[in-house]
Amino acid sequence: MEKKLNKDNQFEINESQAGCASCPVHNAANLKKLGVDMENWDFVVALAGNPNTGKSTVFNAMTGLHQHTGNWPGKTVTRAEGGFEYGENRYKLVDLPGTYSLLATSLDEEIARDFILFGQPDVTVVVVDATRLERNLNLVLQVLEITHRVVICLNLIDEAERHNITVDHRRLARDLGVPVVPTIARYDEGFEELLAAISEVAAGETQAAPYHVNYNHPKLDQAVSQLVTQIKEAFPQVPNARWVALRLLDGDERIIQAVENGELGDLTYTVADLDSPGVDTVAQKSGIRQ
Amino acid sequence: MIDPLIALLSGIGVILFAGLLFWPQSGIFWRLQKRRELTEKVLIEDTLKYIFKCERNQKSATVESLAGMLSTSMGRATEILTITQSRGLLEMTGNKFMLTETGRKTATQIVRAHRLWERYLADATGFKEADWHQRAERLEHKLSLEEVDRLSASLGHPTHDPHGDPIPTPRGELVSHGGMPLSDLPVHSTARIVHIEDEPDVIYAQIIAEDLHPNMVVELDEVSSDRILFWVNDQEHVLAPIVAANISVVPLVEKNQVETLPGVPLDSLRPGEKGRVTAISSLSKGVERRRLFDLGIIPGTEIGVEMSNPGGDPTAYRIRGSLIALRSSQARLIKVDPIKES
Amino acid sequence: MISSYEKILKTAQDLRWEIGGDFHEKIMESLYTDASQIADRATTHPGEEPRFDLDRMIDRLVTSRIWGFPLMLLLLTGVFWLTITGANYPSGLIFTLLIEIIHPLLKGVSASIGIPWWIDGVLLDGAYLATAWVVSVMLPPMAIFFPLFTLLEDFGYLPRVAFNLDHIFRRAGAHGKQSLSMTMGFGCNAAGVISTRIIDSPRERLIAIITNNFALCNGRWPTQILIATIFIGTLVPSHLAGLISAVAVVSIALLGVLLTFVVSWALSRTVLKGEVSTFNLELPPYRPPRILRTLYTSVIDRTLVVLWRAVVFALPAGIVLWISSNLLINGVSIAEYLINFLNPFGLLLGLNGVILVAYIVAIPANEIVIPTILMLTVLVSGMTGMGEGSGVMFELESGMMTLDLLRMGGWTLLTAVNLMLFSLVHNPCSTTIYTIYKETGSVKWTTVASLMPVFMGFVITFFTAQIWRLFTG
Repeated sequence: MEKKLNKDNQFEINESQAGCASCPVHNAANLKKLGVDMENWDFVVALAGNPNTGKSTVFNAMTGLHQHTGNWPGKTVTRAEGGFEYGENRYKLVDLPGTYSLLATSLDEEIARDFILFGQPDVTVVVVDATRLERNLNLVLQVLEITHRVVICLNLIDEAERHNITVDHRRLARDLGVPVVPTIARYDEGFEELLAAISEVAAGETQAAPYHVNYNHPKLDQAVSQLVTQIKEAFPQVPNARWVALRLLDGDERIIQAVENGELGDLTYTVADLDSPGVDTVAQKSGIRQ
Repeated sequence: MIDPLIALLSGIGVILFAGLLFWPQSGIFWRLQKRRELTEKVLIEDTLKYIFKCERNQKSATVESLAGMLSTSMGRATEILTITQSRGLLEMTGNKFMLTETGRKTATQIVRAHRLWERYLADATGFKEADWHQRAERLEHKLSLEEVDRLSASLGHPTHDPHGDPIPTPRGELVSHGGMPLSDLPVHSTARIVHIEDEPDVIYAQIIAEDLHPNMVVELDEVSSDRILFWVNDQEHVLAPIVAANISVVPLVEKNQVETLPGVPLDSLRPGEKGRVTAISSLSKGVERRRLFDLGIIPGTEIGVEMSNPGGDPTAYRIRGSLIALRSSQARLIKVDPIKES
Repeated sequence: MISSYEKILKTAQDLRWEIGGDFHEKIMESLYTDASQIADRATTHPGEEPRFDLDRMIDRLVTSRIWGFPLMLLLLTGVFWLTITGANYPSGLIFTLLIEIIHPLLKGVSASIGIPWWIDGVLLDGAYLATAWVVSVMLPPMAIFFPLFTLLEDFGYLPRVAFNLDHIFRRAGAHGKQSLSMTMGFGCNAAGVISTRIIDSPRERLIAIITNNFALCNGRWPTQILIATIFIGTLVPSHLAGLISAVAVVSIALLGVLLTFVVSWALSRTVLKGEVSTFNLELPPYRPPRILRTLYTSVIDRTLVVLWRAVVFALPAGIVLWISSNLLINGVSIAEYLINFLNPFGLLLGLNGVILVAYIVAIPANEIVIPTILMLTVLVSGMTGMGEGSGVMFELESGMMTLDLLRMGGWTLLTAVNLMLFSLVHNPCSTTIYTIYKETGSVKWTTVASLMPVFMGFVITFFTAQIWRLFTG
């Protein structure tokens, strides 16, 4: 366990914290659970994930709330919110409905998608089931299309071990281009690292190089690039023009609306973009909001 | 105290009466409502639509055929034609009708409303295929232009209705599906179904019963004056020419140009067997279809049959690491290539 | 001149015609192709999965043709047995404490400090008593039933129950998961309605919500047991009495299950025909439940929430009950007016005015139906030396005394049978109605779910009464 829970090289944090987190019983020392107290938050963190990955367990562990979760998909129908304090910052944690996808074909998916896009969370944590990586990555890749400020919580690694599956989280982090933190949420393990990764992404200290899906479809690629050019002209700041183009081609009503009324132009700071340093804009934004 | 026999009989009477009034579809109340809806406006719009279709199919509309379509008398049909003409929607030269520019535009809007509504019924409701057309027939007259636009937006501006017909654009442009009747196809040729005519109901019901749908590939084997024999996905179908004429197809030069649905239905595998998904039938649509994709069932996915319910249905499948139960009605629509265990 | 925004949308619309309809599928395929490549690179499976077989073994066992159903029945019977026997003692304790000790104590205090009789009546005899009654009957079984149920759920067994029962529910046009919301309904219909969230297909979820009321809930079991014991049990020799009355109660519960299927079938083919229907049921891996955490969250999340809603509704009901039996117009209380008004209709249904009024007052909670009926019967018949005074609910020490009281109120065997039927088939309690509204967000479906059963109840009792009278009378 010790070896697994060590920090990923990419995201250095100080040694004493890392040491403490590996003791299995106790969770993050710097974490203060604030329950429903969400006053004066500095950052908003969204919690996304497939159903049945222990997403709500992560939520409860971080906020000290007791949202009941069953072994079911679609259990969290409404958005639950809670607060926690870590380091010097206060965070508002928003638990999104568990979904398999973000293509907005059901109400759950629409809620989750709209929050990640229009709610402009500072960090989106995607809880991933280590035993069903393939299916879970489908959602991760979709989230990465919308925002780069992502931390992957690779949960249920104990169960994966039981099934003799080893997930190389460093390799995963390198491929996805965002921090990946292995956890065992049921036994409060790995939270110190998760919190550290969240705070780094929130503060804009982590440089993301997110993976982009290859659509391998000549006609489609052509259509997308044609639209992307137009979108970039009309909304120069929009960081996820390719995703917007894809949604427009799929006839996504909410996105069409956002283009129609120019709302899309307001989504300026969503991500620490690849091209721009990002760090500054994020810092400015958090400065403005406080 | 009321005599129990009298009470009992009157109770039964009340229930029978209520049943007579409100029995789904055939109840008197519903029939009356349907008749009330059949106003002059509806008749005129149906007339326009009918002549529009005849024009597109290069058939000539007659008063007789119109009366038959509207199921009214010849006199009433003539009356409706006269009104339609007086509103400048129609021109009559001798025995032939011609739509005016306005008439054609109105007709396209009705067709648009009809096809969008069918798309809606297919994608966003649980109504059966056979119900779509009748429901759309009623609603096409009730939707305003704005409502139709909103409907189109909420559906993601679809381009085709579930029968494969193109939906006219808001400006009234209509792209043709460019097919020919299956009955006109030369023997031993291969073609793809692009459209299935949903009128009249009797013929449409026969086509639905044969499980034929747009995008399926047809191989024609025998054509005679009383029957047409063809193969779809290794299944033999025999239709009367008049029925086959309602299926439009586009001939294919090479068969492998277009996707066929190879493989066996997933529900034919036994527990312990495995298969690789080759296709998902177009019969699975709307929410249902997207849910299958979400679960990771796409061409190329390996599916193992884990166990059956004690009653035999549903069956649990191992799909990308998860155990997921599907009913056989769903599994039937997923085609797989069985994997031989070495 | 069109804006650049419109231009984008126009381009998108035109491009859509070129790309074709399988766009969504192409995207999904690309996503999964890439996801599986990334997952493959990061995952290693050294050796064959050894402990995987444990899951598989359990699955084979719990879904097997031979063992599947017996195991399921055994487990569910066990849960119910634990609930009923386990709740008996704490229920009695709370009842004694809240009603037999604290209530007189409060009455004494209020008398000694000279609070006006009507304030004392409204607050203590009305509001307090009704609430205390509901809490004592409702809390213990729920505090046992819900955690047990949640443990089975967290372990991963319940999805297998849904899997096993799906083929039965499918024939009724419903979803296998409805077996779980129905089972939950045997504990509490409001909780049963909440638990339909696990059904992700809109049509089947509405069916499960509307029919949940036919699962005989915890608040109605005591009524069934009491009436069956004193009216039906006494028909047979005493050594058979227990068995026969148990058979009567179980038959009513099974009738409820039958109605669930019949109504589900009818709904799925008529009013709910157009709702979207999909099926998929994920069978999650078995996970050892974390018992303490589960107990804690299920008590907080299910039991207390439902109890709180029940209290909120029972409190005003107590007040209404007290006022209606104490507010006199021309020397006759409102309750009596209402009873006399409804009596002919009640008799036609093989019930009586008292029962109908009790069911109107007791919409908030089925638990208070019997005490309300007893109180109103005394009130109407003008018996002296019985009960605790107008507007004060009570229960009698022995079944025989209850039987005598009800017989004096004009009850026959038919009244008893019809009360049992009506208790099963009538409108859901207001807690459940409110929950249905919260879950569906629709006035239409809430109305259907509330009025359809009460209407069905009228029809069923009416025909039972007429046929009964025809053959006995």
